[in-house]
Amino acid sequence: MTFLQRTLPLAIAMVAGLLGILTFYIPVWEEFETRSAIWFRIVFAFAMILGIHSLLHMHWTRIRRNQAGWAYSAVTVGAFAVTLLFAIYNSGAGPFAVQNLESGGLGWIYDHIQVPAGATMFSLLAFFIASAAFRTFRARSPEAAILLVAAICVMLGRVPIGAAISPYLPELSQWLMDTPNMAARRGILIGVSLGAIATALRIIFGIERSWLGEDRR
Amino acid sequence: MNKDQRLLLLVLIAFTGINGILIATGSIQLDAKGFGLIVGAGVTLAIYSFLYGDNPVFKLVEHAYVGVVAAYEFAQVWYQNILSDIIHPLAGNSDNPEPIWSIIVPTVLGSFLLTRLVGKAVWLSRLAFGLIVGLGAGLLIPRRISAYLIQQIEPTVGSIFTSTGFDPNAAFVLIGVVSVLVYFSFSLEHKGVVGVVSRVGIWFLMVSFGASFGYTVMARLSLLIGQLTFLMQDWLHVPLPLF
Amino acid sequence: MINRLQTLDRRVIYAVIFVGVALALLIDFKFPISATPNVRAVYQGVETLDKGQTILISFDFGPSTVTELGPMARAILHHCFSKELRVIAVTLLPEGQGITQSILEEVATEYDAKYGEDFVFLGYKAGNEAVILNMGQDLRRAFDKDVRGNSLATMAATRSITSLRDIPYIIDLTSGYPGVEEWIQFGQERYGFKLAAGVTAVMAPDAFPFLQSGQLEGLLGGLAGAAEYEHLIGREGQAVSGMRPQSVGHVIIIGFILFGNLAYFLGRSRT
Repeated sequence: MTFLQRTLPLAIAMVAGLLGILTFYIPVWEEFETRSAIWFRIVFAFAMILGIHSLLHMHWTRIRRNQAGWAYSAVTVGAFAVTLLFAIYNSGAGPFAVQNLESGGLGWIYDHIQVPAGATMFSLLAFFIASAAFRTFRARSPEAAILLVAAICVMLGRVPIGAAISPYLPELSQWLMDTPNMAARRGILIGVSLGAIATALRIIFGIERSWLGEDRR
Repeated sequence: MNKDQRLLLLVLIAFTGINGILIATGSIQLDAKGFGLIVGAGVTLAIYSFLYGDNPVFKLVEHAYVGVVAAYEFAQVWYQNILSDIIHPLAGNSDNPEPIWSIIVPTVLGSFLLTRLVGKAVWLSRLAFGLIVGLGAGLLIPRRISAYLIQQIEPTVGSIFTSTGFDPNAAFVLIGVVSVLVYFSFSLEHKGVVGVVSRVGIWFLMVSFGASFGYTVMARLSLLIGQLTFLMQDWLHVPLPLF
Repeated sequence: MINRLQTLDRRVIYAVIFVGVALALLIDFKFPISATPNVRAVYQGVETLDKGQTILISFDFGPSTVTELGPMARAILHHCFSKELRVIAVTLLPEGQGITQSILEEVATEYDAKYGEDFVFLGYKAGNEAVILNMGQDLRRAFDKDVRGNSLATMAATRSITSLRDIPYIIDLTSGYPGVEEWIQFGQERYGFKLAAGVTAVMAPDAFPFLQSGQLEGLLGGLAGAAEYEHLIGREGQAVSGMRPQSVGHVIIIGFILFGNLAYFLGRSRT
């Protein structure tokens, strides 16, 4: 059983990983690259279904066990069911026809619930960032002062009021982005890439096994 | 009834009243679109009510939103992946009447992922994860080396001396990149020369984080502007700008 | 007094932001807008394309970032349709389908652009970078049909396109993952097309190394980037009018930061 539970998955990961590397350098293997990308997409779709199931299971358990907030979980499950019904009804075409994106019910839910709710959720952050900046953004050290000055220059330079205050502000802001910011980001990018490559190699050679999950006994 | 409950009731009455006025004046029609506008405004205001404090209306809308998004994403995965990439190729169609049998392999592997929901068979999902994780790692390595390492190091070093001579900006960038990399080398003790270089790296990072902060403020404010525009222009029918 | 200022109720801050931004929306005032070099580069990239050439735009964003990327998308589409380019649209985010469809049709209607001939929407596919890889090798194996069920071989806009190698210019409008990095690693690096990006302001600082290395031809960052593009194409719309409240909002937040620092240093000097 250890062979099937540990050795075989590690072997699959190693073979898939080595093939993934080699296909980049061997042009005749482009067909394998295409096919493996299609397979990756299909398996990924099942992973998304797993994620959605996980969410619904959590809420369903809360309803079944009458836990605190179960009524809200019922709202989640209800909203899921209603939206899915409209999606599958597909303006009468059903689940095996081409999806009609302008589908009456689904389109309505998307335009009038999903879009405003999604946009508003993220727009809350504007208030939180202002409040957090007021409370905690202090020039306590030279480094913090550099951060503060850079932030103010960029905030003013990227909007038209900056040019109205001084024509040098947009230029300074652009130089800050093009030069010191770019240098720091490049350093981070190179460092992160080296780390990602090292982790990927560890996964392929079976040194990194956390993706296997726990062994259930 | 406490203060917050009274305030909530007041807001609900005001919301209903405003919509009543908008319908009565003909600004909002009593059709699907008009009803949708009212629902959209209600959802927006319910979420903004979180700024005052957590409350049942916010929680209701938040949970409904989660359900709607999950169903919408499931529908997209069904139509654009399961139906289009699995069912249609296996069933054959007018363009390709012969079934593409090789699709069975990833379909079986994908369904192995679902065995995570079945206690005894969960080991099968590791086979599918092995493919995803291994393939993902393998595809990443050469592309990272090529697109990130080589393509980023080359312009850093190569642009210091150009046909017009020494470029101080490029030298400044090289100092920045090297000092940031030295800062992140935590296996080296940051003392002496390494300490000085690492401190320079911190200054570059501070400029970068300051720029990030500035851009983040810009991003979040943009979203707020969008939602306020929706509330004022689309819902309340206030022409913008008014003055 | 200083302690009270330092511990100001956060709802007062929220109210000031709300009122300031709302007033800036209501009151008209103008500041001149000038385009930065990275935005100008995107504009030039589209401008150099000839009538009938194909451009692919990947709408990798959803409702949560439509305020920033929606105006960008509209401005770029206006530019493309006014130049009579063929637009192929695709999205790598499931929640991006609805928004992409509505923006495409809204702009296409203004130019009487015909679906199938002047523009095509391929739809969404799960798989992120795997989809980019597939499109780069064989577009029809990534998307055998478009979102309306039409075969790519039957439509004038996609008939001659077999892979990303056949597309001279690609613009990725992205709010995160999958985004610029995936398009560069799995697309531009391998298949050599010109790539530009429109990103949310949060992501913009991260994209500058790719600009400098030439992996990105140009970059639009946030609503300000969209406003600059609108200014360049001569169609000042939602993004340009958003610069008023944006400017006021920035000044308010800078004011809060400086005020907070003043109160902090005054408090420190007292103790």
